[in-house]
Amino acid sequence: MSISLNNINKKLGDFFLKDLNFSINDGEYFVLLGPSGSGKTKTIEMIAGLLRPDSGTISGVEDEKIGLIYQDYMLFPHMNVFENISYGLRFRDLDRKEIREKVVKTAGEYGISHLLDKRIEMLSGGEKQRTAIARATILSPGIYIFDEPTSALDRNLKEKTRILFRELHRKTKKIFVHVTHDFEEALSLADKIGIIFDGEIVQTGTPDQIFCFPSSKLVADFLGYKNVIKGEVKESIFRSNGVSLMVNGENSSLSYVAIRSDDIFLSEKKISSSARNSFHGVVIDIVKKSTIVEVVVDIGFPLSVDITRRSFVDMKISIGKKIWATFKVSSLRVFTH
Amino acid sequence: MRIKYLFILPGVLLLLFLGYPLIKMIFNVDPKILLDTAKEKEVMDSIMLTLRASLFSTIAALFTGIPLAYIFARKEFPGKKFLEGLIDIPVIIPHTAVGIALLSAWGRHSHINKLTGINIVGTEAAISMAMFFVSVPFLVNSVKSGFRLIDPRYENTAITLGASPWQAFYTVSLPMVKKSVISGSIMMWGRGISEFGAVIILAYHPVTAPVLIFERFQNFGLQYALPVTVIMIGISLVIFFLVRIYEGQK
Repeated sequence: MSISLNNINKKLGDFFLKDLNFSINDGEYFVLLGPSGSGKTKTIEMIAGLLRPDSGTISGVEDEKIGLIYQDYMLFPHMNVFENISYGLRFRDLDRKEIREKVVKTAGEYGISHLLDKRIEMLSGGEKQRTAIARATILSPGIYIFDEPTSALDRNLKEKTRILFRELHRKTKKIFVHVTHDFEEALSLADKIGIIFDGEIVQTGTPDQIFCFPSSKLVADFLGYKNVIKGEVKESIFRSNGVSLMVNGENSSLSYVAIRSDDIFLSEKKISSSARNSFHGVVIDIVKKSTIVEVVVDIGFPLSVDITRRSFVDMKISIGKKIWATFKVSSLRVFTH
Repeated sequence: MRIKYLFILPGVLLLLFLGYPLIKMIFNVDPKILLDTAKEKEVMDSIMLTLRASLFSTIAALFTGIPLAYIFARKEFPGKKFLEGLIDIPVIIPHTAVGIALLSAWGRHSHINKLTGINIVGTEAAISMAMFFVSVPFLVNSVKSGFRLIDPRYENTAITLGASPWQAFYTVSLPMVKKSVISGSIMMWGRGISEFGAVIILAYHPVTAPVLIFERFQNFGLQYALPVTVIMIGISLVIFFLVRIYEGQK
C-alpha cells in the first residue's frame, strides 16, 4: 500500500495549496517539513479525509484507518483515560468485556495502566501523549499521522518522543506522516522528507538528499545553512563582494551559493589539496556550543565554520587571528532563486 | 484612597439599587395576605402556567437552537452576519411589538390561520410561543459561544477514530458545551417567565403570573399586586438556586 497525492489544489480563505504532488511508499516514515502557516496541517487533514481537495486526487487512503494525533493530543476532557482509549472501539462490534481487555492490554504497552480511571486534566504532558498514542494504536490504523507532536514539549521529552515514534514505526511498519517545522526532528525521523512553503511542495527526497542538496535558497535557509551568499556566476566563477569562488553553476547575474559550515576546513597554513577554494581571512567571532565551536571568518564576506572543540583548542583560535578557510567546489550549492 | 474602594463603592451602589426594591417589597407585604394569596387557586394556577409555558419554550429551543448555534459557530456562509443579527432582534425591539408581529403571523386573519385553520390566540401554546420568541437569543448565543470555544480538531479526532460526523457531534462536542447549554437554558427559561408585553397581546387568557400581577395592580392597587409578586419571585429564586446547585455539583 502507498499513498499518492496527485495535483491537489485547495483554496482556504486567502490561502492556497497549490498543485501538491508527492507519494509515500508502504511502511515509509514521511515528514512534511515547513514553517508555520505553510499548509502542512491542511495537507494532512486532506490525507485523513477530513478536508476535501478542490481538485486532484488522493489515492491509497480510501479503506485505510487513520490514526491522527494532533500537537495538543485532543484528548476528550469530559472522558477519563479509559473512555478516551476505548472511544474508537465503541463504533465496532465488540462487547464490554472485549473492549476492557483490549484497553487494558494497550494501556499496559504504554505504561499507563494505573491511569485508566484518571481524568485528563490530572495527567502530565508525557501521560497525555501516551494516552493519545494508545487511543490511536488500539484501532491498528494503516496510516499514522502526527501533527507537530513535539513542538510544545521540552527538550528532554522531545527526544523521548522521537525514540517512541521510531520504536512505534519499527514495530508497526505502517506509513507514518509526520508534520513539523523542526528540521532536526525531520532529519532524525524521516525516510523521506517533503518541504512545503506557502502551500507548495518545493522539494522531496531522503534526509541526506535534502540536507546535502537543497534545491533553493529558501530551503537552504530553512535547513539552517549559515553560509548563503548572494552574487553572480560567470564561466564557473562566483563573484561576491570582490571574492571569487570556483563553482559548478550556470551563468546568472543573480545567484546564491550555499556552503555547509561543516564542509569548510580551517588551517593555520595553506593546505595543498584537491579543494580549489582556499581563502586567507580573519576570525571575527567565536560561538562555543556543546561539542563544536562555530568560528566566523571574514574572507570578504563572513563565513561560518563548525570545528570540533579539540581542533579549536589545538589551533589556538582567537578573535583577530589570521587563518585559512578551504572548501571543495563539490560542497557548494548554487541556486538562482 | 486605595484603588479597591473605587471599585467596591460603585458595585455596592449597583447592588443596593437592585436589592432595595426587592427587600422593601418583601417587608411591605402583610404576612396574612401573603398566606391567603398563596392559597388562591387562580394565583397558583397562573404561576404554574408561567413556569410550564416557559419550560416548554425552552425545550423547543433546545431542539432548534442548538443546531443553529452549532452552524453559526462552525460554518462560514454568505449572509451569516445578517442571520446572527436576526437572532438578536427580539432583545432590542419592544415586546409589545413582538406580540403584534406574532398576532399578525398566527392570529385570526393570518395566512397560517386561513391555510390550516389553526388559531393559537388565547391558548397556552401562544404563551409559549411569545416566550420562545423573546427569550431564544439567550440560549442560542450562550451555546454558540460554547461551541466557538471548542477546537474543531476534537471532532476531527473523533472522526478519524471511526465516529460519523453526527456521532462526533453528540459524543464529543455536545457534552463539551453542556455548561453553556445549561446556563443558556436557565437564562432563557427565566427570561420567558418574566415576559409580559408579548404574552398579553397574544394571550390575555389563560392568565400568566406577570399578567395577573398587572391585572391586580390595575383593579385593586399595589397592596394586592405585591403578594402575587413576592410568591412569583420566591418560587423562581428557589428553582434557580436548585438548578445552579445541581449544575455546580456536576
